[in-house]
Amino acid sequence: MSIAIRATFWVVTFGTIGYALFTLVKPDDELLKKFDEHSKNTDARKLSKQTIEQLKEAANQNSVLERLSRRDAQRLEKLQKAHKAREEVDACDENEDYFSGSFKIKSEYVEDLLAQVPTIDNSMLPSHFDIIKKEINELQKYVVTSTFFLKEFNLRKFLGIVQNLQTKCYELEDRYVPRKKFGFSKKKLPKSHSQKQNLMDEADGAAKKDSNKWDENLFGFSSKENEVLLLENDELYRRDVALRNLKNCTIGLKGLMGTLHLINLENCIVLSGPVTSSVFVDKCTNCKIVIACQQLRMHTSTKCDVYLHVTSKGIVEDCSQIRTAPYNLFYDNLEKHYESSSLDRNSNNWDNLDDFNWLAPDVSSPNWSVLDVSERIDSWDDWWSKIPL
Amino acid sequence: MGFLTILKKLRQKEKEMRILMLGLDNAGKTTILKRFNGEPIDTISPTLGFNIKTLEHKGFKLNIWDVGGQKSLRSYWKNYFESTDGVAWVVDAADGARLSACAAELRALLTEERLAAATLLVLANKCDLPGALSLQQIREALDLDSIKSHHWRIVRCSAVTGENLLEGIDWMLDDIASRIFTLD
Repeated sequence: MSIAIRATFWVVTFGTIGYALFTLVKPDDELLKKFDEHSKNTDARKLSKQTIEQLKEAANQNSVLERLSRRDAQRLEKLQKAHKAREEVDACDENEDYFSGSFKIKSEYVEDLLAQVPTIDNSMLPSHFDIIKKEINELQKYVVTSTFFLKEFNLRKFLGIVQNLQTKCYELEDRYVPRKKFGFSKKKLPKSHSQKQNLMDEADGAAKKDSNKWDENLFGFSSKENEVLLLENDELYRRDVALRNLKNCTIGLKGLMGTLHLINLENCIVLSGPVTSSVFVDKCTNCKIVIACQQLRMHTSTKCDVYLHVTSKGIVEDCSQIRTAPYNLFYDNLEKHYESSSLDRNSNNWDNLDDFNWLAPDVSSPNWSVLDVSERIDSWDDWWSKIPL
Repeated sequence: MGFLTILKKLRQKEKEMRILMLGLDNAGKTTILKRFNGEPIDTISPTLGFNIKTLEHKGFKLNIWDVGGQKSLRSYWKNYFESTDGVAWVVDAADGARLSACAAELRALLTEERLAAATLLVLANKCDLPGALSLQQIREALDLDSIKSHHWRIVRCSAVTGENLLEGIDWMLDDIASRIFTLD
């Protein structure tokens, strides 16, 4: 009996003391938060507290408006930030002109760095190369991240520039900071690519041998050196004419031809009358070619000056340093031959070649150009009988 | 069999054929196409890319694809192989020097899986020129007789005069039609 009374007594006293303390001190929110931080506050507790707060606020009518306006302000701020960010990032950045401009600046910077290499002290070189490599990497990343608005062709061009810088960097590094060779003996495996190349070459060679079978069908000159060669209209008339493997020759073709093939000429001068269909120029170097035709097709040739009358269009493929000028040949019966050739004298696209290796419409091909007026030969009258130097 | 007949009937309704015109550069592919279509042929420039012409002939709708033959374009030919019914291989009969290259390209083309069902028409173009090779010579050079995988035929023609062009195309149409529209 007495035990029960005592127990209730103690419970009641401690309870009242506790309650009194709680009401007297009344811990405010700040204090509770501090307690929370110190104690192991679980997520569940936090969540319950948040909901309680929200409930409390909801109960308070005034706070709804307040909350709404605060929300609105937050939203506006967010929008503004996003807007600013967008303005900073894209728009001007995402077009090719801007890109090529900034790319140029960056690549020039890298080139400058590369140019500085020889002047820099040996001990500083490794860190200098690190910087260069980092810059090149950045540049590459810049190109790659811009792929979505760059044209395929330009993309390849820019990547090519980056690649060049990279190889240049490695070359310089090899020269100035030779790396210590690692101890494996290197067995050089032939690359599959070069193997393929060889195979292709062989195939080409075989093709050449085979083609000899049909050589008797070809009319023209082949395998001569240091000569002046001339053909007149009655022999040439509307035929397929081929000039092959000539060196230091002057070839005069005073007549109307069907097709003209110029294959493997070196340092030659070709003075030709009108050709009704195509003129083929293949593997020619250092030649002066004066022709009038419907189509011109140049392949794998370099350093040729073409005085051209082409009524449709001329093309170049795998060529370099080709220069063009308007057709300016004259011989006695040229007018007559022109008339029977059905070539239109008024349409001449000599200054508009298509380059199959340069498909960018807005940038002109580096492989051909218009021959400067001052360098053109005005009259061929003295050239007919002269062996080229 | 039921499924096959349904397929054939579907094809029959369309009566469309896709013809691919290939060959080395300067063979005269574009000229032939323009000649078919009745367009002027004196202003043709080397094809940078391809031309497509749709024309009606003998009640069929022909889609003729003429793809440029420059060396740098040949690697793109394979993009046009899909669902091709006939290949017109154009040869420059006056260009004997490149016949072997022409033969090699044709060989490579015939091994192509996606062209396995296509009819092959070899057009020996420019036969009006004085230096043109004979049909027999071209046939030998291209080794056509060894082709067992395709229905083929060689025709001497000239895009400039129009000679034999129609005969060649008619044969190809008949051959394709007998294969895919047998219910006619």
